[in-house]
Amino acid sequence: MIKIHNLHSYYGAIEALKGIGLWVRSGKITCLIGSNGAGKTTLLKSISGAVDCKGSIKYNDSTELIGRSSQKIARLNITHVPEGRHIFPGLTVKENLEVGTINWHGFFGRMPYQKEMEEVFELFPRLKERENQLGWSLSGGEQQMLAIGRALMSRPRVLMLDEPSMGLAPVIVSELFEKITEINRQGTTILLVEQNARLAMKVSDYTYVIDHGRIVLEGESLEVRKDPRVIKSYLGKFAKSHR
Amino acid sequence: MDFRLFCTLALNGIAMGVVYAMLAMGLILLIRAVGVMNFAQGDLLMFGAYVTSSLILDFELPLYLMIPVSFICFVVIGLVFMFTIYWPLRKASYPAATIIATMGASIILKELATLIWGALPRSLPPIITDANGKPGILYIGGIPLQWQYVLTIIVGAILIFLIHMLFEKLYVGKMMQAACQDSYAANLMGVPAIATISATYIIVVCLASVGGFMIAPIYMVRNTLGTLQLRAFAGVVIGGFGNIKGAIIGSLIVGLVEVFSTVFLSGYKDVTVFMLIILFLLIRPQGLFGGKIADKA
Repeated sequence: MIKIHNLHSYYGAIEALKGIGLWVRSGKITCLIGSNGAGKTTLLKSISGAVDCKGSIKYNDSTELIGRSSQKIARLNITHVPEGRHIFPGLTVKENLEVGTINWHGFFGRMPYQKEMEEVFELFPRLKERENQLGWSLSGGEQQMLAIGRALMSRPRVLMLDEPSMGLAPVIVSELFEKITEINRQGTTILLVEQNARLAMKVSDYTYVIDHGRIVLEGESLEVRKDPRVIKSYLGKFAKSHR
Repeated sequence: MDFRLFCTLALNGIAMGVVYAMLAMGLILLIRAVGVMNFAQGDLLMFGAYVTSSLILDFELPLYLMIPVSFICFVVIGLVFMFTIYWPLRKASYPAATIIATMGASIILKELATLIWGALPRSLPPIITDANGKPGILYIGGIPLQWQYVLTIIVGAILIFLIHMLFEKLYVGKMMQAACQDSYAANLMGVPAIATISATYIIVVCLASVGGFMIAPIYMVRNTLGTLQLRAFAGVVIGGFGNIKGAIIGSLIVGLVEVFSTVFLSGYKDVTVFMLIILFLLIRPQGLFGGKIADKA
């Protein structure tokens, strides 16, 4: 789906990514783990056109994403759920979902989006209950559901999730990750960025480990989980007992 | 004070309040959409008044032609304003640049108006006149009300209502609201920033210019009309910064206070308006209405 080759990303003069190579496999869940400031979010922002970068990001082996605006990338049905959820606080749940349709609906379009909304409500019944509540008044877990639901409204082919577990209670996190695997089973390719490495590797098919702007390790998630360096740095010494 | 005088003053106050409300609504739309405090808002009103007066006096267009032509002019002014004052500076490393540019725009608009139309005030006849060409008067129960003020209230209220409906009910309006509330997320979802921002600027210029057109027969068209911005700003502060409903009510309060204070303290009407702001800033700095978006505890 997305092949990244020798990607360098910059915030002004600071080089945040130093030559990344990564392959988001079609129909699979690919996860990217790493510590704070390793460059995980920057990588997602590079794909969605929100930071300056050099190198190559190929979509479906033909379309070059670098140099395109975020808006054009969104129209390719590559949808980015940003870190910290970024739902629209003064819009209702329903209106937030409507905004998700903009990439295929167009500014003055008149296409119906009831079907998409029904599907989102089916996946997250809690959002249906809160339909007419304003975004800011939702709990953290509901806001994350709304952020993912909004992304699903955009008919994503690639869904990029940035730290969906951030700040949520463990029970909510496991519920959310079940939904994420369900979205993947229905055919959406997922690129998942997580600090919760154990959980991310459990649900994903392929894992990349990023550190200081470089990929330091990659492989099938089942293999990477057993790598002693990963256990030491990201899973902690109790990793075995939890597996 | 007799009842007739009271009614006349109240009408004048509400009419002025509606004009301030149109300016104030524009100010808030810009602050929310692009984070710019527009110091040229009053001068846009002045410029709009000149453009419409020019269409009526110089080109002698009848009202039914004048309205669509002036609307096209406002759209052009809005786009030019956005692409010169805002767009080139939006990624400047110094975020105040877009705000300071509006101060420059204020000077440019004033000088431009003087260059094109001269420094002398022009008088525009009221929309409804009586048989002798004097301002038309509406009598309700024996109380004389000037038609121009009544029309100002009606036109302003319709315009404010239409814009409210655009934002609350239409798909486009929701996209514009989303872009206002979180431009980063809206951009990621694919909301076209250039379209939402252009639309906002056009709406803002229309609001200000229609206000200018409506009060032109009352104040005369002159290049100092820009000072009305300060009243709109007072309305925004009283209503609670960033809240449109509050700004409208705040602006009405400012209009009424201003008009009634001319009766009791004739020379001090500006003083009373700004005393009101100071009082609000001291006693209730968050304004009459808290924001629609609150911080969650």
